[in-house]
Amino acid sequence: MLVSAEPIACHDCGQLHRYSPLAPGKTANCTRCGAVLYRNRPDMLDSVLALTLAGLVLFVLTNVFPLLGLRAQGAEQELHLLGASLAFWDQGYPLLAGLIILNIIIFPLFELLTVLVVVLTIRYRWRSSTAIFLFRWMSEFKPWGMLEVFMLGVLVAVVKLGDLATLIVGTAFWSFAGLILTMAAATALLDPFSVWRALGKNNG
Amino acid sequence: MAEHDALLQCRVCGCLSHASTQLKRFEVMHCPRCGARVKLAQQSNSVEVTWALLIAAAILYIPANMLPIMSVYMLGAGQPDTIITGAYHLLEAGQWPLALIVFVASIVVPLLKLFTLSFLLISIQRRSRWRQHDRMRLYRITEYVGRWSMVDVFVIAILTGLVQFGNLARVDANLGSLSFAAVVVLTMFAARTLDEHLIWDITRQEESHT
Ligand SMILES: [Zn+2]
Repeated sequence: MLVSAEPIACHDCGQLHRYSPLAPGKTANCTRCGAVLYRNRPDMLDSVLALTLAGLVLFVLTNVFPLLGLRAQGAEQELHLLGASLAFWDQGYPLLAGLIILNIIIFPLFELLTVLVVVLTIRYRWRSSTAIFLFRWMSEFKPWGMLEVFMLGVLVAVVKLGDLATLIVGTAFWSFAGLILTMAAATALLDPFSVWRALGKNNG
Repeated sequence: MAEHDALLQCRVCGCLSHASTQLKRFEVMHCPRCGARVKLAQQSNSVEVTWALLIAAAILYIPANMLPIMSVYMLGAGQPDTIITGAYHLLEAGQWPLALIVFVASIVVPLLKLFTLSFLLISIQRRSRWRQHDRMRLYRITEYVGRWSMVDVFVIAILTGLVQFGNLARVDANLGSLSFAAVVVLTMFAARTLDEHLIWDITRQEESHT
């Protein structure tokens, strides 16, 4: 087996290294630029699977319930996540509406489903061509999912509206906060190197 | 190490593969593991594409700041706000933390991105060996921070979606928001197309010659 001598390159600077198995919980760093090369986390798959399933439930809740409500002199207005994405549409800016719907609904959902498929593929040793395809595009689209940026936008809007009218913070606001936390935790736990290595093996 | 010449690294999955020696100028190779396109170093047009995106973003930065981004109407009266007057109104209302968030995310970050990416491109073109670690860090920060500029676009979306009470109170989006979003998108694409490995290329070439 050549596995212990498998050459790998640093993702940041391209420096070549030799792969060698790590003790559980340890991390390998690049000798030139210090970037993380790979990690050994024994229960990575199970934790990520649990977080992703929780994330999918929170995603549904976030989209079903209203995010914010506003009461002004007897009139009431509610805003769902989809409504916020499409607000620009009604204003005559379909491109912007499209961009926002990608940022806060499509890409986050795509990421959750991809991680689910990838983890299940590795765990049950399925054929990995679908998982490889999805994981590749997920890595490319990652910066375009902007849940946490949107959350900051919600907070700014809440303070701005605070003295204008009575504001109701909806159920989706809290599930949205939970969704951001679970997705951040899943991203922090998932080691791309280990995933690619596992997917590459199932393929051949 | 001689292996640098023979091995190509996939930018998506990190897989190393051997370059076929007969690869012609416009021929592309696909990564054997993930199928993404792998370009040879001498085929890379990353510098030119990044410059084009940056220049487009710099041009759009002007209307993004001059044109109003949204209008707030209260009891029929109201005025359009540009990014800077919006931040100023927040400051006037005593909400300086919010004014700071809007100012940093919408004005400082896009401007810094335009400058740092231009600086990195110039240093790459001059084949500079100056502080490669720091330039790499600068690139990573720029790439990460860029998406936060979208916060103002999201605020406008939330306000226009929520505040629609006819003549009583109403928030409308204006053309400036479109230019501003275009600046954010273009600078994000610019950061993605800039091949950060070019920062290290000069050292790598020297290492392989010794
Ligand atoms: Zn690849």
